[in-house]
Amino acid sequence: MNDLAVAPAASPEVFQQLGLITRQLHDTLNQLGVMPKLQQSAEGLSDARSRLGYVVQKTGEAAEKVLNSVEMAKQEHADMAVATRRLAQSIEADPVKALASGAVFNYVQEVEAATARIDSHLTDIMMAQDFHDLTGQVVSKVVKLAIDLEDSLVKLLVQAAPAELAAPVEMVDSGELSGPVVNPEGRTDVVSNQNEVDDLLASLGF
Amino acid sequence: MKPDTKFLVVDDFSTMRRIVRGLLKEMGHLDVDEAEDGAVALHMLKARKFDFVISDINMPNMTGFDLLKGIKADPELRHLPVLMVTAEARKEDIVLAVQSGAAGYIVKPFTKATLEDKLVKIMAKLAISA
Repeated sequence: MNDLAVAPAASPEVFQQLGLITRQLHDTLNQLGVMPKLQQSAEGLSDARSRLGYVVQKTGEAAEKVLNSVEMAKQEHADMAVATRRLAQSIEADPVKALASGAVFNYVQEVEAATARIDSHLTDIMMAQDFHDLTGQVVSKVVKLAIDLEDSLVKLLVQAAPAELAAPVEMVDSGELSGPVVNPEGRTDVVSNQNEVDDLLASLGF
Repeated sequence: MKPDTKFLVVDDFSTMRRIVRGLLKEMGHLDVDEAEDGAVALHMLKARKFDFVISDINMPNMTGFDLLKGIKADPELRHLPVLMVTAEARKEDIVLAVQSGAAGYIVKPFTKATLEDKLVKIMAKLAISA
């Protein structure tokens, strides 16, 4: 159903008035100095989305790299443990034969090679932490964008609102899930660690 | 806790599922399946037998809260212990989860010791009440 087809046609005067109001709003925003900033912030919002997508991607890649390295290093350790047990059994059975047959020397070489590979995995884990620097910079830019946008909007609200309506805006809890608590200091509605979770549940009889 | 306990790990972040799977493996539990949200988890729970559910709360499609309600509302599934492992740290969420039937609640970030401790305590409690 096309509502426009059944609505009465607006008169040219109405269109003229709307145009005048739009122009006035545009001029007012410019005079208040918020228009360029608002425009910049609005354009930056789509950029912010891609930046945050980048953060998710980078942190995901880092986590995968680290987990891969951990799995490989743990496998090396497990293999070394098996080799050590095998050598210990050989030495216990016949220490002279274990040495003469080269079992001891072979083991030493295996351990040397394995520790070099494990060291490489540990280096990979260390290098994977570079996501913190990369994503930190991106997040800072997004935070700055959000602050700029908020500043512009608050300035607009404060300057445009009648004096009798200039009351502080209260944050309304939408009841949505809040995700990780960034700063629990001063808050009594959240827990800071697992001990507080356990204490809370114990106090309620769970 | 029996090594052949069948776990379902539910979290929208694959890295977190992988971490929990890795910790369970270190504890000797190899039978671990994964789901990326509550809806997929509920479908899997109805299709296959599981012994334990470890679930995040904040997930798309179906949250951990709704998954928990779905499990407790189903006569075939309500016996399943559900351990919430989540970044949600509001006290009201913790209380709500446990009042809704969660067997335990762990806040992220967590340690292997915490996970192991909670799993052992939950299974011990279930063994007593069986």
